[in-house]
Amino acid sequence: MKSTRTELSRRDFLKTTAVAGAGLTLSFTIPGGGAREASAAAAFEPNAALTITPDGIITVHITKAEMGQGVGTALAQIVAEELEADWKDVRIDYPMNDPKYGLMLTGGSWSVNWTFDSLSRAGAGARMLLTEAAAKQMNVAVADCVAEDGRIRHLPTGRSMPYGEIVAKVPITRTLSEEDLKKIELKKPSQYRIVGKWIPRLDIPEKVTGKAKFGIDTFLPGMVYAKVAYPPTREGGKHTAVDDTGARKVKGWIQTVVTDDVVAVVADTYDNAVRARDALRVSWDPGPNAGVSTASIFEMYAKKAKEDLTAPSWVEQGDVKAGLAQAAKTHEATFTTDYVAHMQMEPMNCVVRLDGGAYDIYTGSQFQTMAVGALSKKLGVDPSKIRIHQHYLGGGFGRRLEPDIMVETALIAREVKRPVKLIRSREEDLRRDYYRSATLQVLRGGLSADGKVIAWENTLVAAYPGERYGGLDDKGRDQFALNGSDHVYEIPNQFVRAVRAETGMSVGYVRAVAPNYTFFAVETFIDELAHLAKADPVQFRLAMLGGAPRLARVLKLAADRAGWDSPLPPNVGRGVACVTAQERKSPTWTASVVEAQVDPASGAVKVRKIVCAVDCGIVVNPDGARSQIEGSLLFGLSNALKERGTVKNGALEQSNFHDYQVLRMSDVPEVEVHVVPSTEYPTGLGEPGTTTILPALSNAIFAATGARVRSAPLTAERVLTAIQQKA
Amino acid sequence: MAQLLINGKTFMVDADPATPLLWVIRERLQLTGTKFGCGIAQCGACTVHLDGAAVRSCQTTLAQAAGKKITTIEGLHPKGEHPLQKAWIAEQVPQCGYCQSGQIMQAAALLAKSPNPTDEEIVAAMSGNICRCATYLRIKRAIKRAARGI
Repeated sequence: MKSTRTELSRRDFLKTTAVAGAGLTLSFTIPGGGAREASAAAAFEPNAALTITPDGIITVHITKAEMGQGVGTALAQIVAEELEADWKDVRIDYPMNDPKYGLMLTGGSWSVNWTFDSLSRAGAGARMLLTEAAAKQMNVAVADCVAEDGRIRHLPTGRSMPYGEIVAKVPITRTLSEEDLKKIELKKPSQYRIVGKWIPRLDIPEKVTGKAKFGIDTFLPGMVYAKVAYPPTREGGKHTAVDDTGARKVKGWIQTVVTDDVVAVVADTYDNAVRARDALRVSWDPGPNAGVSTASIFEMYAKKAKEDLTAPSWVEQGDVKAGLAQAAKTHEATFTTDYVAHMQMEPMNCVVRLDGGAYDIYTGSQFQTMAVGALSKKLGVDPSKIRIHQHYLGGGFGRRLEPDIMVETALIAREVKRPVKLIRSREEDLRRDYYRSATLQVLRGGLSADGKVIAWENTLVAAYPGERYGGLDDKGRDQFALNGSDHVYEIPNQFVRAVRAETGMSVGYVRAVAPNYTFFAVETFIDELAHLAKADPVQFRLAMLGGAPRLARVLKLAADRAGWDSPLPPNVGRGVACVTAQERKSPTWTASVVEAQVDPASGAVKVRKIVCAVDCGIVVNPDGARSQIEGSLLFGLSNALKERGTVKNGALEQSNFHDYQVLRMSDVPEVEVHVVPSTEYPTGLGEPGTTTILPALSNAIFAATGARVRSAPLTAERVLTAIQQKA
Repeated sequence: MAQLLINGKTFMVDADPATPLLWVIRERLQLTGTKFGCGIAQCGACTVHLDGAAVRSCQTTLAQAAGKKITTIEGLHPKGEHPLQKAWIAEQVPQCGYCQSGQIMQAAALLAKSPNPTDEEIVAAMSGNICRCATYLRIKRAIKRAARGI
């Protein structure tokens, strides 16, 4: 527990700045007041990243959400490495939002990539100050002292002081500026003893006993339960009349809340709140989207792809028209993907207490910075009045970037004037999700007489989540809806057109986001061109990857380990895909080979094996990395085989796990993961594997059957139709 | 008033007899290791033992549970050291962790009945439990590790 004084000193003196798009920079200052505190047996808090207390415990403050990636352990390893900490002294916590932490955002597989350097320097800077302080106390030269295993040791005499003792006894007065930190020479990967080592995750023990606290496990004194009545359409619906006569008769009913934004009932228990809400009679105006359906959406997409010729380009290189005109052979194919939902296991929930004008928010958030902004605006209070108490996330996958549940609960709490807990049912969770956009992509390619790709055109139609996040660029493009369509293959003439199409279905960020659908089209179409050129799909790709040697390497590795050229039984095929997910500027080089068996009579697909090779640079926690890759591949398999969101009357048709099926143990193939040893700057692992599976599987189905399935998910019905059309 | 015997302790609960056991356990008694995932017995996050058998507490009413011996993740082992819990740590199974109480309770019922299950038995017993992080490979390994008594 930190004292108020310490909290104040941190807020007053430590600055953290977020650099847009580039991540987080921790500045590092120990001003006078802070130094005095550090001297008097108080906690030593050299920066926003860590605290060392006199008992020797080093607490690394994790400002990233823990949603299964093991991010806390990995980030603590980075700090501990340069700090020369003894790992057994290291703890982690997940602090409340504070401007000093800069951009509090967890997503995009960015956590390690954005913080590796700054956390390394935070650890190294703290080590420097501890070394100086210990040298002073022992009255020896700093140059004769080294930090090792949580102590500063004086080499000539062998005397040493543990960090806890230093913090307890010695005033630390020196200030390290950002410039000072930048000058620190960091360790070389060959010197690492914590980074890259197998270290069990710190969050796992409490996750096997039921003790881990998720947002849904929050209880406050005097807390009541809210249930909301939601409109029938995903967007644009509004209540016109509310009759709560029935609700008032339900045992435990406390209050009915009707505002412009929300219709809710509050009761003493969850089950009574459900009964009372179900007894409400609400009249709805379903709004302008009541007629929206899957058919109407894809009809509009197809029209836009043909007619929206003024849409901006995302990739423009050479002259694609000339390239297509010169081509000896051309090929065109249209790819579509259906809506995909998050279906994180913990349905969206939140507890809010309004106390003295400040809102205490208890939940698990991937984007506290945005939530503070949204809440402050909606509630009309200063951002300092929003306190988000972070919990474990029962799955994030991008769903918990959105502040909707916090806003909804806070609006109710404001009316009720008691702590309010709101738990959405699974049905509500799914119907109020922010889906991965349905998409349509029309690809055209041209081959030269000697079988080289000389022209590549993609018209990509999708809805953009970025506007809510201020993320559209000056041409109205959303990078996060387009990533991946800018592939790395060396093709002289390319043109990718970015066509935005809003549908009335809210879209958001679902694990790996656009590269799921962009690489589906890119990697399947490349495969089609390889076959058109009568070339081996692996060799065909390698010939165009001269500029991306690390991708070429993982592609070869995956193909080798999968026995790419070895024979297979009838109706079994292998398919490959290689990707630069998530973004061109911070790619994790990933390739997968999928081996699948297709039942030609039913179209049913059984995946037998996935072999994946990854180069993500330095690996901080090897087992955590492997766990993320395994999970991301299987999440991709779930998306590719099973998950199909369809729309009727402006809302998703599916309601729960019975009609929105996800991967179960019975669907799981053998999975083999190969991580390339590397000393390159690290990139992320939470998402890239996901994006390889859909294209690799569609290519495997082609290899097994000769039929192309260009609509995802690759359901048995679609596979069967493709087989029948081929015949 | 219904009388519930949970993890060896008796609780008196004043709720509609049709109330799902899940909501009584986690929201009224605050034994929060048992999780809500779907409410329709499709995901297994709410799995508890009723007289030793794995059941979905979201589809078990208070009336059905009364008088039976209920075990939740908190009561699986007094120190949280059931062979499965140890195996779950050894294999570093959980990611987000939300479904894992249900997974472990389901697996514990399997091992109680079939101490050395085949792969097929494991898949059959565990396929009602969804893990959205897809830790299935490790769940399977951990069950086998626990069965081998490592």
